[in-house]
Formats: sequence, C-alpha cells, structure tokens
Amino acid sequence: MLTVSLHTFREHRRLFAGAVTAVALGVALVQASLLVMISADRAPLPPGLTGRAREELREDYAGAATVLGMTLMLATFLTIFIVSSTFAFTVAQRRRELALLRLLGGGRAGLVALLLGEALLLGTVGTAIGIIVGIPAMWLQALLMIRLGFLPDGFSPGWDAGVLFVSPCIGIGVSLVGVLAAARRAAKVRPLDAMRDVGAAARVMTPARWLSGVSCLALTIWMVTLAQSADLLGALLLGIGICIMGSVALSALSPLVVPLTGRALGLLLRRTTLGELAQAELRDGVRRSASTAAPLIVLVALLVGLTGTLGSLALMAGEEQRRLVNGHLVVTSTGADAERIASVPGVAVASTELSVEISVRARHHRQGRSSGRTHYGGIIAVDATAYRRTHHLQPHAGSLRRLHGRTIAVGPGLAAEGIRVGSTATAAIDGRKVRVKVVAALAPTLENYSERFLIPRDLIPPDARAAAPARTVVRTAPGVAPSTVASALRKAGIGEVETVAQWADGRAAAQQRMNIGILAVLMGMAGGYAAVAVVNAVVIAGSERRTEFAAARVAGLTRGQVVRAALIESWAVTAIGLALGCTVAAGALSGMLAASLRAVDRPLVAVPWTLLAAITLASFAVTSLASVWTTRAATKPTPITQLGARE
Amino acid sequence: MSITPMAGVPASELRAVVRDHGGGNARVRALDGVSMAFPVGSWTAVMGPSGSGKSTLLHCAAGLDRVDGGQVYLAGQDITWAPDHVLTGLRRRTMGFVFQSFNLIGSLTAEQNVALPLKLAGLRVSRADVRAVLASVGLGDRLRHRPRELSGGQQQRVAIARAMVTRPAVLFADEPTGALDSASARTVLALLRRMVDQDGQTVAMVTHDPAAAAHADAVVFLSDGRLVDRLDRPTARDVAERLALLEAAPC
Repeated sequence: MLTVSLHTFREHRRLFAGAVTAVALGVALVQASLLVMISADRAPLPPGLTGRAREELREDYAGAATVLGMTLMLATFLTIFIVSSTFAFTVAQRRRELALLRLLGGGRAGLVALLLGEALLLGTVGTAIGIIVGIPAMWLQALLMIRLGFLPDGFSPGWDAGVLFVSPCIGIGVSLVGVLAAARRAAKVRPLDAMRDVGAAARVMTPARWLSGVSCLALTIWMVTLAQSADLLGALLLGIGICIMGSVALSALSPLVVPLTGRALGLLLRRTTLGELAQAELRDGVRRSASTAAPLIVLVALLVGLTGTLGSLALMAGEEQRRLVNGHLVVTSTGADAERIASVPGVAVASTELSVEISVRARHHRQGRSSGRTHYGGIIAVDATAYRRTHHLQPHAGSLRRLHGRTIAVGPGLAAEGIRVGSTATAAIDGRKVRVKVVAALAPTLENYSERFLIPRDLIPPDARAAAPARTVVRTAPGVAPSTVASALRKAGIGEVETVAQWADGRAAAQQRMNIGILAVLMGMAGGYAAVAVVNAVVIAGSERRTEFAAARVAGLTRGQVVRAALIESWAVTAIGLALGCTVAAGALSGMLAASLRAVDRPLVAVPWTLLAAITLASFAVTSLASVWTTRAATKPTPITQLGARE
Repeated sequence: MSITPMAGVPASELRAVVRDHGGGNARVRALDGVSMAFPVGSWTAVMGPSGSGKSTLLHCAAGLDRVDGGQVYLAGQDITWAPDHVLTGLRRRTMGFVFQSFNLIGSLTAEQNVALPLKLAGLRVSRADVRAVLASVGLGDRLRHRPRELSGGQQQRVAIARAMVTRPAVLFADEPTGALDSASARTVLALLRRMVDQDGQTVAMVTHDPAAAAHADAVVFLSDGRLVDRLDRPTARDVAERLALLEAAPC
C-alpha cells in the first residue's frame, strides 16, 4: 500500500504540497512558541539587580509566559483545524481514484491504511520541514516579543532537544488524527462511483459533520447566552471560547451555509453569464467552497473577535476609571510641584498619589496556602481623607478612614491575592523597616496594572515625597469652571493638566496599545498561517479542476472567461467566509455589549473597523491572486489534451 | 476467498432482479424482473437502447449496486445481501472489470497497474506473471510506460491485463471499445475472443456497438428494464437490425 502512496505523491503534487505546507507551518508555529516559552521560563535573572528591577524582570517573564501560553494554545488549535481541513479536502478530491481502488479489490481497512500511510509520510515530511522552519520562526517570535516590550532587550531564545520529541508528536499526530475522519469517510466510497463521472455518494454533510457542527453551534449559542450575564472577565474568556467554537461550528456547517449564501449572491451574479456560471460552480463545488471558507472564518473570527473583545475591555476599564474618580482634573507632576496644587485658587480638594520607591512584604493566603511575598511596584502614598473625597473606591474589607499612622491598605491590583485585613506587613522605607497594619482592602478594578498598596503619606520622608512622581486629582470649588483652574495650574507651571475624561481615555488607549501588542504576538504568525491555509485551499481546488475548466472551454468559453468565472467564484467564497467570520466575532462581542450595559449602563463595544477593512482587502487580494494564478496554470495546455487525458 | 464455479453452474446469474432508481415521482424502474445467466466459458453481450438498463444490469451482476428485488448469484454463491467484506473478497479474486474510460492509475506504470490488484489482495506479486499477462495482451515492450504515454487501445489492453491478472471467474466489461478507434477496438475484441476460446474465460459485456457484440457468443437485448430478445452466434448485421427494431419501437 505504501508503494501506491509513494506513487500517488507524484500525481497529486500540489495537493500534497499543500498538506505538507499546512503541517510544516503548524509545527513551526507551535515549536517556536514552545521554545520561546521554555527559554523565558528558564531565563536567568542577572546578578546585582535591585529588588525592584528583579521584580519587574520576573513580571516581564511571567507576562510573556502567559501570552506565549495563549499563543501556544491558539497555534495548536489552528494547526489541528487547518491540517485536518486540508487533509479532509485532499482525500475528498481523490474520491474517484479511491473508488477505483475499491473496485480493484481494495478493502475498507486497506483504504484507511493507504490514507493513514500517506498521512504518516506527509506528516513526517511536514514535521521535518517544520522543525527547521521553526528555528527562524522562534527568532522572529522572540524579536516580536522584545519589540513589543514583553521580553527584555537582551533575551535570546535557545534550542531545547525536547522539541525533537514534541514536534513530531504534534506534526505526525495531528496529520494522522486529521486524516482519520476523512479516511473513514473515504472508505465508505462505493466501488460503483469509479464507473460514474460524478460520484453519487459525494455527500458533504455526513452524519459526523452534522454532529460536530450542530454540537459546536449549540455550545457556541450556549456560551453567547452565558456571556450575556457574565462579568467582564467571564465575558472575555467566553468571547475567546465563542471565537474558537463558533469557527469550528460554522466551518463544519459551511456546506449548508455556502450554497444558501450563494443563492443570495446569485441574484447579483446572475446578471452576467460568467456570474451565472460562477454561482452554479459555487453551488456544485460545495466542499471546495467550504474548504476555502473555513480558514477565512477562523482568521476573521479570531482576529476581529479577540481584538474587539480586548478593545471593549479597555474601553470599559477607561470608563470605570472615569467613574471611580470623583474630580474634575488630573495633574501629573513631581511630588514637590504637587504640594503647590492645593494653594492654586479655585481648587477645592487636591488628592495626590505619589508613586514611591519602597517595598512591602506581606502574607498572601490563596487556596489554603500562605506565603510571604515582597512587592516593589505599584505602591502609592496618599492622604487618606483627600483620597476618599476624590475617589468612589469602596473597600471590600476594612475602611480607608483608618489609613493613618503605621497602616497600609491593599490596592485593587492585589485584591485577589488574599492579603488579610488586620494582618501585619513590613514596609522597607529608605532602608528602614516599618511594621504596618493592613486596615483596608479595595475592590478589584478592570485595569490590568492598578495600584497594589496605599500607604499614608506621612510615613514617607519629605525629600522622598518631593522627588516621587505624582498624580493629583483636583476637585474645583463650586461655581469655578474646571477650565479656569486648569489654566491657573498651567500658569503656575505645575506639571501636565488633563480633564478626568482625557486622563481616562489616555489610560484606555495605553491599555489598548498593550492589547494590540498581545494580539500581534498571539495572531501575528498564526494569522499568517491562516492566510497560507486560504491560499492552499484555493490552489488545491484550482489545480484539481483541469478537466472541468477544459470542458468549459470546449463549450465555448475563452481562457480569459474561465479565469474570470473562477475569480468571481473565489470572490463569492471570500465574501461568504468573511461574513461567517464576522458572525462569530459578533457573537463574541455581544457578550461584551451585555456586560458593558450591566457594568456601566452604556454600550461600550470596540468594533475594530480598521482591522476588519484591512482583513477584507487583504483576503480579497490574496484569494484573487491565488485564484487567477492557479486557473491560468490549470488552463495552460489546450483543452482537448486535458479532456483526452482521462486515465 | 476464491470461488471456482462448479460444472453446470453459471459464472453469474440474475433471478427476477428488480432495481429502481430515484424515489417518489422521479422513480424509474431500471430493471424489471430480469432473469438471465452468463454461462461459464462463454462471452455474452448485453445490448439495448440508451436507458434500457444495461449498465445497471452489469452493476447489479457484479454486486456493485444493490437490487430492490430478486437474487444475484456469482459462481453459484448468493451475493444479493453479501456484506462488504465478502464483496471485496470477490472483487479481488472472482471478478475483473474493464471500463470505457480505462480507469488506470495515472501515476503508476503499466506493470504497476497490472500488479495492483494482486497487491491489494495481499498476494505475492511475481514479476514474471505480471509480465506474462502484459505480454499476452501484446504489451510486453510497454512495461514501464505510464498511461499517458500509451494510446487508447494500449491503455485498454493494460486495463484488460489488470483485470485478468487475478484469473477472475468472470470479466465484466462496460463499453470496453466505446472510447477506441475501430482498429484498436478490433485488437481489443480479438484479445477478449482469444481469452474466451483458449482459456475458457467468462465475459459479460455491455455495448452499444453491433460490431463489438458480434464477437460475443450470445447477445441479449434489454428494453425498458426487461429482457426482450436473444441471439446466439450473432452477426453484426443481425444485431444491428434487432437493435434498430427496438429503438424504433413505440414507447
């Protein structure tokens, strides 16, 4: 059987090249993420660092590991998805050949063995290429993460021999699993189909496909309804789940959806002869259309869905900050300048938050375990009275009223860490150890990097206070316009003055920049992979249609018309893929919409229109080029030689 | 599991076979109670106007298509409801197929194409046997050619060699000369005739062509799914006349 496998390789070069590409890129992507993650985990902390620098570096690495973990998950999902859809497609394209083998006495088990043998061969070749391509991909991934600030400058990823085990497992494993379902389906091919030009048994919507499609759709709908009543973090996680499940569901069901949409598009296309032909091809080549649309659905759903979800989260965090702050202006300055704000005319209340360079060691209680940890960043010194008057923050335990003397409050950034109110922490201020009592713990906020500790400003020596960076929330006196006070502050030369709204928008924008960075890492290479899969499907579909194209030309179409009809068809498939992807993304965003309505009583959804437009243009460009190129290649010989060469 | 037909038992037999195509309003009775036998060591041609059910008859006899009524026997064994693995086994050793569109595997050489059924059956492939079979169809010098490097007639002879390599009890041929020029068609028909005469091969052939049917030992005529006529030791002229009568018959 393996000899037959080997020989059919030559005959279906493009088909198999497509499958090898899918495996190789998937392996490279997974391996690159894995190696960078391992390297980040093992990266040594250089000696002689200050505690704060150590903490920052460690947090960088932890953050990078989280992002890489998600990348790895996404890469694995995409690899499984794309490889199995590509393999299923290659098997479906060879229906007649497989029926012939059955007619010559090939048993079902033999056919499954043949296809698995092929998958083994393709998987091995793909994995070998993937392991090699994975090395430059690893450097690229690391470079991307350094550029985006997730990893420190000097970071360099290293090789780990473990991938020589993991990569083949993934590459060959995914190939075999991917082809298994298709092989079992192909084994049901009736020998009679070899005697007919069109296999009557060419059913696309098999029971297994129905089952997976409908169950994934049900799961997606369940998640969408769940997301309507989830909190923000829940909505975010569900959003990601909806993107993945929804893509799988709509890809599985696309043979139903594609012709339906094709009929709608048909009203548009039927005006011209070529359009009519393209529409008929769309309806007829359901599997081909579905295979091309599948990677597009995933690409659009994940990119638009995740960007929109994270963007909405940033918008909501900004909105939350705006509401938490009970003031008119925000002034960013040094501690020394901030001291002068209260004396500016028109200022009723000025609450200064000083970012101080101290460390706090506290006991954490999580999941029944308690441990001591030292924190360096995110510690602010405040005047409790002014702070309470300018913030709506409610402590979920204790009270900010008691924040004076040798005390400390747990900020929103550590709200989930289980530091108990009433316990004692140790603050290191200017080399002096001060034991402080935890008197309050604030409720968590949506922001990623919010304050960890609040300590009374009296604990900080005056010279340290003057040098610390400060942010002051100002409430103006009744009857005084904030703009008047703002210009007075500027005239006095005190730092940078913004309205609370501007400041909150700025923070949301900063969060969004960070999100885009995360997405660039998550989807950068994965997006490229999905794009390659789209091209792959177009090329496979085109190169196996020589006879069909030849028949069309014999019927009187010119070569140019055949190319154009195929182009119109690929446009229609692209449009369908994009629309279905957007449907999934909309499902994910609907959860964010509901969550924002509940959290802030305002619809806050960031639809990434620019990204959507870019993806739309890029998809059309890529599928058009691929379609024209393959159709031209497939129609190069004269039609009659194509029709005659029916072995 | 190889089956050798017993003396007096037809290689292939249909008893009151009914086969419907389509469902509901589109239902068409392709075979309407057909009973006939393909005797061992003889060549039977099945003829009839387009849509008379002759291809369906061949498919049913070979167990490729299920019947809706009646029984199908192959070498004395009832295969009407035989499970797939039994039919697969029969296809490996007891049946051979030849088609109008040769259906060779384009990537394999002539030699590899012929050896394929043996490999599929898990048998040891003797190169000498394969070469002998190819030589017997007159292609001893084309072993390493791929189908696209062969003429239509040569491709069909490779297909016959492939069908014969397992020494099947019955060879099913569906329009074997339909895609060939007349000279190639004559070569192929002479080859089949020789196999019947010298080796006692049973051949069941569907054809449109009276000249092809005239090479057979007997011709049966189908019309609207029923067996309507039979000619023994036919001549091309007799066959053409009967066929013309059938085609002119009022519907």
